[in-house]
Amino acid sequence: MNNQDFKKLLTVNDIGKKFNGISVLESINFTINEGEIVGILGDNGAGKSTLIKVLCGVIEPDSGFLEWQGAKVVFQSKNDSTRLGIETIFQDNALVDSMSVARNIFLNREITTRYGFLSHKKMVESSAEVLSKMTGIKGIESTEKLVGELSGGQKQAVAIARALYFKNKIILLDEPTSALSVRATDALFENLKDLRNKNFSSVIVTHDIYNAFNVCDRFIVLSKGRIVLMKQRNLVTLEELIKHVSRA
Amino acid sequence: MIKGRLSLSPSTQYKLKYSSFDILIIFIFIQVISVAFGLIFPEKFPFTSNINISTALEALPLIGIVALGVGILMISGEFDLSVGANFVFSSMTMAVLYSNGWPLWTSILAALISGLILGSLNGIATLWLRIPSFIATLGTTGIYFAGTLFFYGAAAEPFEPIGNYSFVITGSFGVFSVEFFWMLILFLLGWVMLQHRPLGGKFMAVGGNLQSSISIGINVRKTKMIAFVMCGLLASISGILAAARVNNVSPGGASDLALQAIAACVIGGISLFGGRGSILGIFIGASLLYWIQDVLLLLGAPGFYLSAFIGVMIISAAYFYRFTRERKIK
Repeated sequence: MNNQDFKKLLTVNDIGKKFNGISVLESINFTINEGEIVGILGDNGAGKSTLIKVLCGVIEPDSGFLEWQGAKVVFQSKNDSTRLGIETIFQDNALVDSMSVARNIFLNREITTRYGFLSHKKMVESSAEVLSKMTGIKGIESTEKLVGELSGGQKQAVAIARALYFKNKIILLDEPTSALSVRATDALFENLKDLRNKNFSSVIVTHDIYNAFNVCDRFIVLSKGRIVLMKQRNLVTLEELIKHVSRA
Repeated sequence: MIKGRLSLSPSTQYKLKYSSFDILIIFIFIQVISVAFGLIFPEKFPFTSNINISTALEALPLIGIVALGVGILMISGEFDLSVGANFVFSSMTMAVLYSNGWPLWTSILAALISGLILGSLNGIATLWLRIPSFIATLGTTGIYFAGTLFFYGAAAEPFEPIGNYSFVITGSFGVFSVEFFWMLILFLLGWVMLQHRPLGGKFMAVGGNLQSSISIGINVRKTKMIAFVMCGLLASISGILAAARVNNVSPGGASDLALQAIAACVIGGISLFGGRGSILGIFIGASLLYWIQDVLLLLGAPGFYLSAFIGVMIISAAYFYRFTRERKIK
C-alpha cells in the first residue's frame, strides 16, 4: 500500500441501486480521503439520501462495491459501517429526547464496569469533556440534561460529539442544517473545520449551497442518480455549482 | 462551560427534575394524612390497624408485580392487555398440576414457563406479524381466557401448598407477607436493570424514538421481545403468589387486571407513548391505586365509587404529568 492509497478512506466503485425497476443511483464513483469535507449536492430526488444510506450500510447496493482503506467491504447493516469508523448523523440526529445527553452519546455503546453495570460517572464526565471541546455550544449546563430540552443546534452538537468520542474517521451528515438557526449552522461548520484539522473527514448532503461552498473541499453534484459534476473547491465557482444543481 | 459530575449542583438539579420525586412527595403527603386520621379516629378509620396494614402488604404486590411488567413494556413503547388472562392461565396450570400430584416446585416452574410462553406469543404477534400490541394482546386475552376454560374447565381450582418450602409463597413475618418481599426484590431488580444496565437504556430508546434506535444499531425486535417476555413472566409470578394467598384459582378472575396495571403505570408517570418512566413511579402508582381502594373500603363507600375515583386519579395524573412536563420543557 503506497502513501497515496493510505490517505483514501472510503472508495465508492460503480455503485448502482434501483427501486421498483427505477434507477436511483447509477455508476457512482468517488473516493473520500482523510481530512477532507465533501459536499454532496443536488435537487430533490437526485439520489443524495439513498447514496448516504448506501455509504452507511442502511441500504445495500444492487451493483458495484465499497472499499475501506483499499480493501473491499460489504455493509449488511449500519453496525458494520460504525465498526469501521463511519458515523452517520441523520436528519433527526438519531437521539432520544427522553434520555440524557450522556446516555444518548453512549447509547448502545455504554461504558460499563467489569460486571456489566453502567458507569454513569465516567459517561457523564467523558461526554462533558468531549462537548466542551466543541465550538459554539452553549446552554448544556450538565450532560444529565434531557436531549428533549435542547435546541436543534445543541442536538446536532450532541450527535457530532458522539462521533467525536468514538473517534470515527468519517462523519456522514444528511441535511444537517435543515433545522438549524444561522448561529447554529455557523457553529456546526466551525466544528466540521476543526474536525478536518484533526484529520477527520465529513460528507455533507445538503441543499444549502452557499454555506457548503464556504466549508467543503470538494463537491459532488448528483442528478437523477448520476454524478454530473465533481470538482475541488478551488476549481469551481459558486455560480457554476448553482447552475449544475438547478439544471439538475 | 459544560459541567459534568464535577459540578454537583446542575446535575443534581436535573436528576431531581427528571426523577419521580414530585409524585413521591404527593404519595408521602397522602400517607401521612391517612396515618394521622387513622390515629385520631381509629374506630371510624382504622387505617393504621394491624389487619389493614397486613392486608395492604398482601394485596399490593399482586397489582404491583403485574404493573412492573406492564410498565417496563410501556416504556419500551408497547402494551400488554393479556396480563390478567396470563395471570389466570399460569396460576391455574400450577394449581391443576399440584392437585395432580406434581411437586410444588415443578408446578411453580410450569406456571413460570407458561407465563414466559404467553408473553413470547404476544411478542411474536406484535413484532413478527406486525400487529399493534394493543390489538394483538386484546386478541390474545380472549385466546388465553378461552385456553384456561378449554384445558382446565370453568370450576375454581383449590391450591393449598404444604411442605417445608411452601413458606416462600405463603409465609409472612409479622404484618409483612412474603409476597411483599418478593415485590421489593423484583422492583429492585427492575430498577437495577432500567437504570444501571445497558438493556434499560435500550428499553427507553426503542420506546422513545424507534427510528433513532434503528439508526444507532439497537436490535429493536430483540429488545421489545425481552420486554414482552418479562411482562408475561411477572404476570405469572403475581398469579402464583395470589393463588397461594387465597388458596384458590378462579378461571373467571383478574379480568380487569390489565387496565388496573396500566392505570397504576399512568398514575406513576409512565408515558403512554413510551420512552419515559421509572421503577419508583410504577411502585408509587400501584401503591396509590391500592390506597384509594383501601380508603374507600375503610370509609364504607359503595363499590361504584371505586371505579369513579380510579377514573379521576387517572385523568388527574395524566393532567399533572402534562402540566409538569410542559413546565420542564420551558
